[in-house]
Amino acid sequence: MTFKIIYFNVRGRCEAMRMLLADQGAQWEEEVVTFDVWQAGDLKKTCAFGQLPKFCHGDFEMYQSNAILRFLGRQFELYGKTHREAALIDMVNDGAEDLRMKYLTLIYKEYETAKSKYIEDLPSHLKYFECLLSKNHGGSGFIVGDQISFADYNLVDLLMIHQVLANDCLKGFPLLKAYVSRICSRPKIAAFLASDDHKKRPINGNGKQ
Amino acid sequence: MTNYEIYYFPVQGRIESTYLLLTDQGIPFKKHIVTSEIWGKGDLKEKCAFGQLPLLQDGEFKLNQSNAILRFLGRQHGLYGKDNKEAALTDMVNDGVDDLRTKYFKLIYSDYDIGKQQYIKDLPGCLSPFEKLLQKNRNGSSFIVGDKISFADYNLFQLLQVHLVLTPDCLKDFPLLKAYVSRIASRPRIKAYLDSDEYKSRPINANGKQ
Repeated sequence: MTFKIIYFNVRGRCEAMRMLLADQGAQWEEEVVTFDVWQAGDLKKTCAFGQLPKFCHGDFEMYQSNAILRFLGRQFELYGKTHREAALIDMVNDGAEDLRMKYLTLIYKEYETAKSKYIEDLPSHLKYFECLLSKNHGGSGFIVGDQISFADYNLVDLLMIHQVLANDCLKGFPLLKAYVSRICSRPKIAAFLASDDHKKRPINGNGKQ
Repeated sequence: MTNYEIYYFPVQGRIESTYLLLTDQGIPFKKHIVTSEIWGKGDLKEKCAFGQLPLLQDGEFKLNQSNAILRFLGRQHGLYGKDNKEAALTDMVNDGVDDLRTKYFKLIYSDYDIGKQQYIKDLPGCLSPFEKLLQKNRNGSSFIVGDKISFADYNLFQLLQVHLVLTPDCLKDFPLLKAYVSRIASRPRIKAYLDSDEYKSRPINANGKQ
């Protein structure tokens, strides 16, 4: 059964799941929705919350990017080994989502006016992830436990888009810096990040980054 | 043997869904009410993964993020659908609930006086996805996903309750949601809880607005 991602031509809320699928050696289809098609409204009406991404696995359809990550987490055993590990993975993913929301508000609503304050405040948000890493095998592995989880793909994507926004944002966070390098050099992720598919896809829909 | 302890401010906020879940399931837990004085000291905040409450403790295990807490309890107590597909739909619904909850908090804490009217005008568009989801599941006669209660039901129910306080006829055009709320509210332990002084005396939000 194939996986299908239906989304705009951006990295946005889908690049994490793309990294996950690539790293897990899975094949997937992309159905790109242009702005014009979306504006027409017919597709939007069919979406559970009027939003993309939409995700299909065979005839199973679902929405909400983090629900999709969790679904893939279950499919590929990227959800920890115990209930407690699963809970910590959820917790980290929720923390990543909180920061992603702040990032998206900056990008889409207040880029020019709020960018420098956002960058100034960024360490106060990143420090929590540095701390979580330090508590897990001294930051030498993954964000939770000793195998990769869906939260790792989401967190790495989030950190990478922040490095584009402010390229030395990880300089005070050596564990996060090493973590991003380590995950990105996993062979299938490295290949995905080097691909035209990834490189040609804008991070956000309005050209800002 | 569970040994849950929950730390939160003396409000419904982001914890009431969890209280409803535990109460309805008959799972004992200890409530630690965190006043602003206690919070201001900083020691508890430092124990929290993202510097925020709520915090759930189970023995030496510590967990933050209200939705991670709901999911943990969902997993531990069989409130997460019967298979991966139902689990995914449960997650999807909970994410939709959280999106609306975030809008609600923005209104309450940042925008109440200026934004209330528009919020109420826009509310039907935010509620109709849940009416549709209910309709697609056994025509709304059961739970939000599947035929068993899940953590997403407690969260959705509580979200609808606070909206009914904000605007008491917000469900008038959503008969399935209206019936769903009544049905959940009349589950014996939930009914007793909603009638309790403890519940009735807890403010919904920290700034007195609702």
